[in-house]
Amino acid sequence: LPFLLPYALSGTAIATVWQFLLSKNGAINSVLDGVGLQSLERSWLLRPPVNTYAMIVASTWQAVGVSVLLFLIGLQVIPKDPIEAARLDGAEGFRLFWDMTLPMLRPMTIVTIGISLVNSLKTFDIVWIMTQGGPARTSETLAVTMYRETFVIRHHGYGAAISVVLSVFVLLVSMFYLTRTLKTN
Amino acid sequence: MKIASVVRTTILLALGAVWILPLYLFLINAATAPKEYGKKERWQLPQHFALFDNVSTAWDKAHLADAVLSTGFYAIVGALGACFLAGLAAYALVSLRIRWGFFWFLLIYSGTIFPFQMYLSPLFTMYQQKIFGVRAYNTHFGLLILYIAIAVPFATFVIRNHFTSIPVDVSEAARLDGASAFRVFATIFVPLSMNAFATVFILQFTWIWNDLLFGLTLSNSNNIRPIMAALAALQGQYSSSGPPIALAGALIVSIPTFVLFFAVQRVFERGLRITA
Repeated sequence: LPFLLPYALSGTAIATVWQFLLSKNGAINSVLDGVGLQSLERSWLLRPPVNTYAMIVASTWQAVGVSVLLFLIGLQVIPKDPIEAARLDGAEGFRLFWDMTLPMLRPMTIVTIGISLVNSLKTFDIVWIMTQGGPARTSETLAVTMYRETFVIRHHGYGAAISVVLSVFVLLVSMFYLTRTLKTN
Repeated sequence: MKIASVVRTTILLALGAVWILPLYLFLINAATAPKEYGKKERWQLPQHFALFDNVSTAWDKAHLADAVLSTGFYAIVGALGACFLAGLAAYALVSLRIRWGFFWFLLIYSGTIFPFQMYLSPLFTMYQQKIFGVRAYNTHFGLLILYIAIAVPFATFVIRNHFTSIPVDVSEAARLDGASAFRVFATIFVPLSMNAFATVFILQFTWIWNDLLFGLTLSNSNNIRPIMAALAALQGQYSSSGPPIALAGALIVSIPTFVLFFAVQRVFERGLRITA
């Protein structure tokens, strides 16, 4: 259950925590120091492309909860009989999962991937709090660029253009998974 | 076989530890006094348990009392308002069978698909003027109607799904006996769908509580802005207040959704299953 916990928390709170973990005097560096891995220490949020990877880790840490929840629902919905039959036929462990459970979870897998993709495309909170897209715009997402251009430096036209691009991407992904789910239903 | 299971357990335990480590570091450093913070290693337990001091510092510094009140208002009234409107919309779609029903449904549902960035800028411009003769930018009213509007599409989707599971005969019988459309809605559909309504309420409460983007964009004063914008401001003055205070702030703002999430986990799972 602690694994689902980050899901109930906000991107802002998560970003505050991870900013502290990853800052130069932060906790991750201190832990690495403690276990004798000084060579791995770095200023995680100040160097591209490491800052982007670090924030991907942070947002994964938060987003896993949603996906687990969706898969749990999917698992409850799939019929038990075929699994039992396969088990009687001698399938077990990984093979049972790969050949039986996973194909039957397919509709839910598509929805989960679609939702995660859309959420990731719209990433704003985590990046805005942790780096504000910096240093020198190296870690901006489309949503962050749009916000900065429109509301910080007031290039309304440029900001609007970025939001059009973002909307097109989001719509394409949404259409992909919505048509797939509608078909299976 | 035995070695394999030992190896597997070890790997799982290691992965679990890495996953939980951020939580541990978060909690112990939120409980470290700012004075002690510079002297100890981050992973060590603090000598003095200063969590409550940090919490009260964060509370005062970020004006969290104001923020909790306004965000509570947005989240509770917003989620209730969305439930009510979405319930009416779903009822019209499912039971009243209005013309072009599927079109209206798609139109409402499309609200969950478009990214917020698409209308953020026009919204900001629109909020500089009055809506229904009331000032909208940086007011409780302005943020509340926005949150209701954004919560309605998903709420309609969930409630509509649940309404379709209510047998048509029941409502038709009631209508034949002379009950008005609204009466059927209020005395049959709503009581039968309490689970769905509860799920929607929880999800929308959590969403509104956790929102940062609209709070940043459409408000700027301490007594209006929602709590995540307040935390962002506290976190922004990192250098002046120090990490333990920011972490304590992050802890405070997480409590309501955290408690809600665990208190109603059962309802939540049952309700989500309906949507699946």
